[in-house]
Amino acid sequence: MRLSWLIGGAQGTGVDTSAQIFGDAIASMGYFVYGNREYYSNIKGRHSYFNVTISDHRVNSVSQLIDVMATFDAETIFQHFEEAKGVLIYNSSMKGVKASSVVSMEPEVAQKVESRLKEKGLGETVEDVVKFVGERGVKTVEIDYDSISKEISVKMHLPLSVIERVKNTIAIAASGKIIGLDKNALLNSVKKTFKQETFYNMNSMAVELTYDKVEKVFDLPPRNESKKRVQLDGNTAVALGKIYAGVRFQSYYPITPASDESVFLEAHQEVMMMDPKTGDKRKGTIVVVQSEDELAAINMALGASLTGVRAATATSGPGFSLMTEGIGWGGMNEAPVVITYYIRGGPSTGQPTRSSQADLLFALNVGHGEFPRIVIASGDHVEAFRDAVWASNLAERYQTPVIHLVDKGLANAYSIFEEEELGLDSLIIERGKLTFCPSEGYKRFEITKDGISPRAPLGEAWMMYSGDEHDEEGHIREESENRIKMYEKRMRKLETADAEIPEEDRLKTYGDIDSDTVILTWGSPKGTVLDSIQELKKEGISLGLVQIRMFSPFPKRLIAKLLSGKKVIDIENNYLAQANEVLKLNTGISADSFILKWNGRPIMMDELMNALKLSMKGEKKVILNAGA
Amino acid sequence: MQEHKVEWSDWCPGCGNFGILSAEQQAITELGLDPKKIVLVSGIGCSGKTPHFMRLPISGVHTLHGRAMAFATGIKLSNPQLKVIVNAGDGDQLGIGAGHFVNSGRRNIDMTLIIHDNGVYGLTKGQASPTLKLGLKTKSLPKPNINESINPLAVALASGYTFVARGYAYDVKHLKELIKAAITHKGLALIDVLQPCPTYNDLFTKEYYDKRVYRLEDVKSWNPVVSKKEEVDEKMAMALEKSLEWGDRIPIGIFYKNELVSTYEERITERSPSYIDNLPSQEVIEDNGRPTTLIEEILKEKEIK
Repeated sequence: MRLSWLIGGAQGTGVDTSAQIFGDAIASMGYFVYGNREYYSNIKGRHSYFNVTISDHRVNSVSQLIDVMATFDAETIFQHFEEAKGVLIYNSSMKGVKASSVVSMEPEVAQKVESRLKEKGLGETVEDVVKFVGERGVKTVEIDYDSISKEISVKMHLPLSVIERVKNTIAIAASGKIIGLDKNALLNSVKKTFKQETFYNMNSMAVELTYDKVEKVFDLPPRNESKKRVQLDGNTAVALGKIYAGVRFQSYYPITPASDESVFLEAHQEVMMMDPKTGDKRKGTIVVVQSEDELAAINMALGASLTGVRAATATSGPGFSLMTEGIGWGGMNEAPVVITYYIRGGPSTGQPTRSSQADLLFALNVGHGEFPRIVIASGDHVEAFRDAVWASNLAERYQTPVIHLVDKGLANAYSIFEEEELGLDSLIIERGKLTFCPSEGYKRFEITKDGISPRAPLGEAWMMYSGDEHDEEGHIREESENRIKMYEKRMRKLETADAEIPEEDRLKTYGDIDSDTVILTWGSPKGTVLDSIQELKKEGISLGLVQIRMFSPFPKRLIAKLLSGKKVIDIENNYLAQANEVLKLNTGISADSFILKWNGRPIMMDELMNALKLSMKGEKKVILNAGA
Repeated sequence: MQEHKVEWSDWCPGCGNFGILSAEQQAITELGLDPKKIVLVSGIGCSGKTPHFMRLPISGVHTLHGRAMAFATGIKLSNPQLKVIVNAGDGDQLGIGAGHFVNSGRRNIDMTLIIHDNGVYGLTKGQASPTLKLGLKTKSLPKPNINESINPLAVALASGYTFVARGYAYDVKHLKELIKAAITHKGLALIDVLQPCPTYNDLFTKEYYDKRVYRLEDVKSWNPVVSKKEEVDEKMAMALEKSLEWGDRIPIGIFYKNELVSTYEERITERSPSYIDNLPSQEVIEDNGRPTTLIEEILKEKEIK
């Protein structure tokens, strides 16, 4: 089963909170949920929405067409009416509102709505839109939000201005009744959110009153889920992974959509640890520094890493641009550091809150000069968690910056999965050639066969670091033979990594990998691809998936083996099909067709299924554009 | 103590850097500090090479142009047991690194910053640095300086540095004492060191400074130390006013000192008391490869109930 639900409203009016309550209630009935948050780069006023998929099994994507659409303002109707498929809930007092009068709406959106309605010979009010949608077979449910609010106001002796806030709750209550959600489950979730009695009372009253006024459309019987399940968004998954990995220093400068990770770390900066000698529990500290800029953020993390601490930073495109110089220093000085790179829409400030995968080539080529850069990419929330540990291990093993890509499509989306999927027991920490007892005559940059030198923390031995070319001791040297040796030593580490890291870990395969057509993707589209190929299988279409997990060093031998002789469809959230460029560069193989999207919204399941069918019919390039 | 043999140093004959290097080494030796537990962090430029030319076996981190303070911050906060000294140039710290200079004051981390202040960008052949005054023309400039200068002491005072001093590279004995005071100061200390550049700056020469500098300690009424909170405004105003004195007489010495302000390390300890006992850099984060961090409690927050 798969049910899609959407709630929209002005940013800052509680859309997020109500989506959380609703998702929590559904999850408590034993269902799985995947939610994606879309919002403008503003604090209050612009349109934001939550698109949520409900299922009886793990889901990884959202849909363009919505089974139950919950609205209470006019803009959500205007922005989303063409996506309504099952039920549309609307506010009776909004009926007369014209598209042209909604000032928070960007003019292009209003114009689009007006021309669309004009085509149909309809007027331009909410009522006209509702009529249009109704005629297309969507069940429209009118709710008198005002009268419900008034009723609560009178019963609770509270002014209407306070009650105004329950509109979200009315919307989720109407949704709950329609999809067949048990009222008590919703009330429980309301209780968890609103600890204060007055707020709980007015919201629970809103649930009670609304449930009586709406009719059930779907069924949502309680399911038994005996296994422990957790809900994580991308930022939290990475933060949790860093904590588990032993990251004890994180510096960052505020930027969307990365900062929530650092804020979570700061909130949990006192961590519980087990003393391996005594088995006693004790506390440890994560130093979290909000720096003055991203230059400081990366350079603080680099400085920290020289002391032996696991150090990291988190940023997005504009911040990463500023970090390039520091990353080069890290490469030259063989400093282990993890940069979690949350990709958003660029260039420049671009679309700060929107999805994109357009920074892959930038991440791979960051910094001037040649040095080993390890680049990995997560495709879901479990991977985001595990990759935070992986990235820290790789950084210390190969003593070089590791860039961990997480796109916005994962950062601000959340999913529910079984806790055992995190595989806590199978995660290990590898610290590479770190030594607290360096031998006599220790040289920080000692030339070794694998290119990796013993690494002692500052304070444990004499050592010198320099961004200038240096000798084994770290002193500046411009002499040519030393240059050759040190250059080769650094570059050799990438060859060592390529030889040591199993290619099976650097890409993952799913579905019918032996079928004639294989999809190639990376990052957040993975979930949509997985859900789509599962659905297409039901229609008798067989597809395999190759998900690239590591771009540098690239799993070239295995990927060439998997893709040779196949029809390859490359799916990415960018214009240039950047992963395909990397594939070509490494293997000479290129995808046969492309499904690309760069409108700033995540790839949705239904649009992808259509696109895949077109690709299989021979369409070379399908451009996706779903999502308000 | 095993001393390093320094075969060569890149600096021009008569460079003020020799005086600073010498004063710094003497200060460290006289304080009896364990060289293993000291880290010298530097930026880019002639001053950036300071760690490479140390006789004492002190670890050095020669970083990026302007970024030394950021590196130093990461080092110190991960291992507060280390003594961290930063050597930066005036262009390095007050030009490209000005943001870090100001914001470091807000944190008041227990470190020492020594600015090699010669008014020019030496290594790139003498362009005007942020401390060269408007209208001045050194021999390396094609035209008189078009920018007004920064007053490093005043900026430091306004940014929260809790120890603000000025030294002179050719008064090594005095500079040594200043560095000792800065290192032992609890909090972030700045010493702006007036330093002739014999190659590119023909205005602020040894002869120029020798005639003008005087020691604040020789002024009987001078007391830069804040001993109670109520004195902060008065002492800071006094220091600010003193920092403006520049002409026939140029003061060197301690302008301001205040140990009543909490350090960043103390602020972290307040939030997480285990910080000083379990230094982040020394944490045992694994046991035979198994993570020693327990995340069950945090996962519980995320559990579906």
